[in-house]
Amino acid sequence: MKLALKNKLPVILLVLALWQLGQGSYIYLKAELAQYLIAAAWQEQDKTTQIKPWPWADTWPVARLVVPQHKVDQYVLAGVSGEALAFGPGHVFSSAAPTISGNTIIAAHRDTHFSFLNALKKGELITLYNRKGDRRDYIVQDMRVVDKEDVDWINAEDYQYQLTLATCYPFDAIQAGGPLRYVVRAVSLATI
Amino acid sequence: MSAIRQNLGRHLLTSLFNCVAYASGVGIAISFGLMSLVFMSGSAQASEDDIALPVVEDLSDLQSGQLVFRSTNGHYLTSPSVDTDVVIDISGLLARVTVSQSFLNPTTQWHEGIYVFPLPETAAVDHLRMKVGERIIEGEIKPKQVARAIYEKAKSAGKQSSLIEQQRPNMFTSSVANIAPGDKITVIIEYQQVISQTKNDFSLRFPMAITPRYIPGEEIINNDEVQQFNGNGWAVDTDQVPDASHITPPVLLGNDSKTNLTTLKVNLAAGFQLAKVDSLYHPVDQVTLDNDNRQITLINSQAGVRDFELVWQAKASSTPQAALFKQHFKGKDYALVMLNPPSQHSIKQSIARELVFVIDTSGSMDGTSIKQARKALQYGIKQLRRQDSFNIIRFSDDSKSLFDQAQLANHDNLDIARDFVNALTADGGTEMAPALKLAFKQNNESKGLRQIVFLTDGSIGNEDELFKLIEQNLADSRLFTVGIGSAPNSHFMNRAAKYGRGSYSYIGNESEVKQKIQALFNKLTHPVLTDITLNISCEDSLEQWPQSIPDLYQDEPLMFVLRADPLPKQMIISGHFGTRPWQTTMQLKGGKQSEVVSVLWARRKIEALMDRYRLQNKDDVIKQQIVEVALNHHLVSKFTSLVAIDKTPAKPLGEALSSKIIAGDLAAGSNLERLPQTATSASFQLLLAALLLLSSFLLRLMQTEQV
Repeated sequence: MKLALKNKLPVILLVLALWQLGQGSYIYLKAELAQYLIAAAWQEQDKTTQIKPWPWADTWPVARLVVPQHKVDQYVLAGVSGEALAFGPGHVFSSAAPTISGNTIIAAHRDTHFSFLNALKKGELITLYNRKGDRRDYIVQDMRVVDKEDVDWINAEDYQYQLTLATCYPFDAIQAGGPLRYVVRAVSLATI
Repeated sequence: MSAIRQNLGRHLLTSLFNCVAYASGVGIAISFGLMSLVFMSGSAQASEDDIALPVVEDLSDLQSGQLVFRSTNGHYLTSPSVDTDVVIDISGLLARVTVSQSFLNPTTQWHEGIYVFPLPETAAVDHLRMKVGERIIEGEIKPKQVARAIYEKAKSAGKQSSLIEQQRPNMFTSSVANIAPGDKITVIIEYQQVISQTKNDFSLRFPMAITPRYIPGEEIINNDEVQQFNGNGWAVDTDQVPDASHITPPVLLGNDSKTNLTTLKVNLAAGFQLAKVDSLYHPVDQVTLDNDNRQITLINSQAGVRDFELVWQAKASSTPQAALFKQHFKGKDYALVMLNPPSQHSIKQSIARELVFVIDTSGSMDGTSIKQARKALQYGIKQLRRQDSFNIIRFSDDSKSLFDQAQLANHDNLDIARDFVNALTADGGTEMAPALKLAFKQNNESKGLRQIVFLTDGSIGNEDELFKLIEQNLADSRLFTVGIGSAPNSHFMNRAAKYGRGSYSYIGNESEVKQKIQALFNKLTHPVLTDITLNISCEDSLEQWPQSIPDLYQDEPLMFVLRADPLPKQMIISGHFGTRPWQTTMQLKGGKQSEVVSVLWARRKIEALMDRYRLQNKDDVIKQQIVEVALNHHLVSKFTSLVAIDKTPAKPLGEALSSKIIAGDLAAGSNLERLPQTATSASFQLLLAALLLLSSFLLRLMQTEQV
C-alpha cells in the first residue's frame, strides 16, 4: 500500500504540474489572443455603435494605445472589471473618455499588457486613439508607487489633457493581490 | 561508476527537457480545449485574487504628513511648518470661520510655501488677507487663470504675494511667495458655512485629520530626469519629486517631528437655550457666558488625527422648528429658510412601501463584485418589514424578475428570494434598459411609496439613453444606486440617482456591505416628506436653490436659499407626508438680518451649476455662469481664486527663491475610489508548475534508482 502511493505520487504531481502550467500559460495566451479578436471588433465598429469582440463579452474596445519605443500597440477595453483586464487594458469609467479633455485613467495587469510600464521612461511618447479616430500624443512626465487606496494623485486633474496608466507593483512579485500600484502620469504635448 | 553517473546526467537532462516540452504541449492543448469554457467564465482566475486583498493597516499608523526635501548640497531639509489659528463664530444656523495660517521660514533663503488643506465641502470662501509684518493686504477675487498669472508675475518680481485656489470642493491650496529668511507671513482666510442639523442635534465640523497617503521609501525604478514639469500648484504633486528614489521616507513617523500646530476657538451663540455642548474627539475648555452662549477652546494644540467636531443640543422646551435669515444686497432680497418637518410618529405604521431590487449579473460583475452584491442583497432582504412588499430583478443580456408583481415580505416569499439570490452568477452582457423598464412597469399604483435599489458596477456605454429612460418613467418611484466593485462607474450612478431622485452609495469591499446597506435602509425606512414644492407669489424674480427640493428622510430639516425682488410676505410649502398631502404656510416677515445670506445663496448656486457643468460635459456657457456668480459674490470656486499682492518688492532681485511644499492633508472625495487589482496569478502558477514538475521528476528518479 505504501509502495503503491509512492508509485502514484510522481504521476499525481505531474498532473498537478501540467494543470498549473496550462492555467498559467492560458492567462498569457488569452491576453495575447484576445487582442486579435478585439482588433477585429475595433475595425468593424463605426463611430457610434459598440461591437463586442465576442458575443458573450461584457466589454468593448474604447481606445487604441500605442507606445512606439516599447513596440506596444494594444486595444483598451471599457471598464476595469476582472473580465475586461484579462483581455486587455481597461479604461476606468469614471475618468475622462480617451483623448478628450480631463484625466483619462487606464489600468492593466503588470504581468501581461502593462509589463512594459516597468521599462517606460520619462519623456517617452504614448499615443491614444479613440473610436472616432481622434489622436492625442502624451509625454510621460512622472511615475509613482502608491497604495491602492491612495487615489489623490491619480485623480488630481492638473493638466488639461492627462493620461494616467496604472498597474500592480512590484512588477516581479510572484503572488497577485498586493496593495501597491505603479502609476504613470503622461501629459498631452499640446499643454506642456 | 563514472559511466553510470554520466548516463544519469544525460538521462536527467533529456527527461527534464521532455517533461517541460510535453507539459507545455499538454498544458496548452488542455487550455485550448477549455478555452470556450474559460472564456465564458470571464477571468475567474484573475479576479479571484481580489478576495484575499489585504487591508493596509500599518498605513494608518502614520500620523503626520511632514515633507522633507533634498537641498542642493544633498542634505535633507524639513519643510517650513504652518501654524494654524482657527476662530469659529456661530450665530444660530450660520458659522463664520477665520483660518490664519502662519508660514514660518526658519532657513536663510527666500522661500515660497505651498500648503494644501481641507475645508468643509460646503464652505463658501469669500475673504483673503495677507499679513506682512504689521501691514494687511486685502485679497481680490479673479478668474483662476488670471489670479495665477498675477501671482506668478508678483512672485518673479520679488513681491510678497499669496494665492488661494480651490482644487476640489473640499480641498484648497494657499501659496505664499517670497517669505524672507527667518520671517513669517500670515494668510487669513474666511469662509461661511451653514450648521448641520438633525432634529435637535446641531453640529459643526472643522477638518483637521491628517491621513497619510504615501508609502514611505518605495523606490521608483525609472528616474531619468528629462525635465521637471511639476508645477508647484500642488503639494500632492510634489510629494515625490523627480528624484524620488533618492529620498528617504517622505513621511516622517511618530510625534517627535515638529507637526503643524493648530489652535482653535469657537464662540457659540446658539440663539436658543443650550442643553449640552460636546466636542466629539478633542479635549476642550468650555466657558458658559449665559444660557445661549458658550466659548469653547481646544486644549491640545497639536493637529489631531480626527476632524474637530462640535455638537450641541437645545433644551427640549426651546428646540427651534424653523429659522429665517435675510439680507438686502445689491438691490435684491436674499433669504435662508430652515424648517423642521412635523414628526411622523402618528403615521409611521401606515406607510406601506414597495421595494424593488435590481441586480446586475453581467460578466463584469464576476469575482468579488457578484459576491458583494449577493451579500448586500441578502442583507437588504433581511431588513424588510412584514408590511413591505418586494421584488428582485436580475439582468445581464436578459432580465428576469423573481415575481411577476411585488409580493409581501412574508416567510415563504423571503425563502424563495434567498434561494434566488444565492443562485445568482455573473455572466454575459449588460443590458440595463430592459431591466429598468421592467422595474418601472411593475408599478402597482395603489401602493404609496416605491423604492428601487439598483446594484451594479455601471459597466455600460449608453448612459444618456438610460438617463432619459429614468427621467421619463420615474413617476412615484425613487431610484437608489449602489456601486459595487473596485472602480464602478460612479459618474453614471451619481447621475442616475439624481435623475431618480434618490441617492448613490458605494460599497468598496465586502467588509463594508453591512454598514453601507444598513445606512441606506435606515434612510429608506423613514421617508418623511416627498414631492416638496414651494408656492411663492413673486415667481418672476424668484431664484431658489436647490431648484428641485429632494425628499426628506427622518430628522432631516428642509433648507433652501432664495433670491427675490422683493421678497413676498409669505410662502406655501407643500408635499406628501406618506400618502397624505401636507401643506404649511410660512411667514417671511421678521427673521434675522445677516450679512452672509447672499454668499450662501451664491455658494448653493455654484454647487448646483457645478453639477450641471459635469452633467453637460463641461459646457463653457455654464462655466461662464459660475465665474460670474463667483466674481459677483467674491467667492473662491473651481474657476475663481483669491489673490493678494504686496505692491512693494521685498526680495532683492537676483536672489534665488526656492519652493517648499508643506504637507497638509485630507481624505478627499474622488472619481476613482480605489485602484483595481492588476496582476494575474500566471507567474505564481507557472512557478508552482515548475516546482511540482521538479518534485515529480525527482521522486520518479529516486524510485527508479531503488528498483
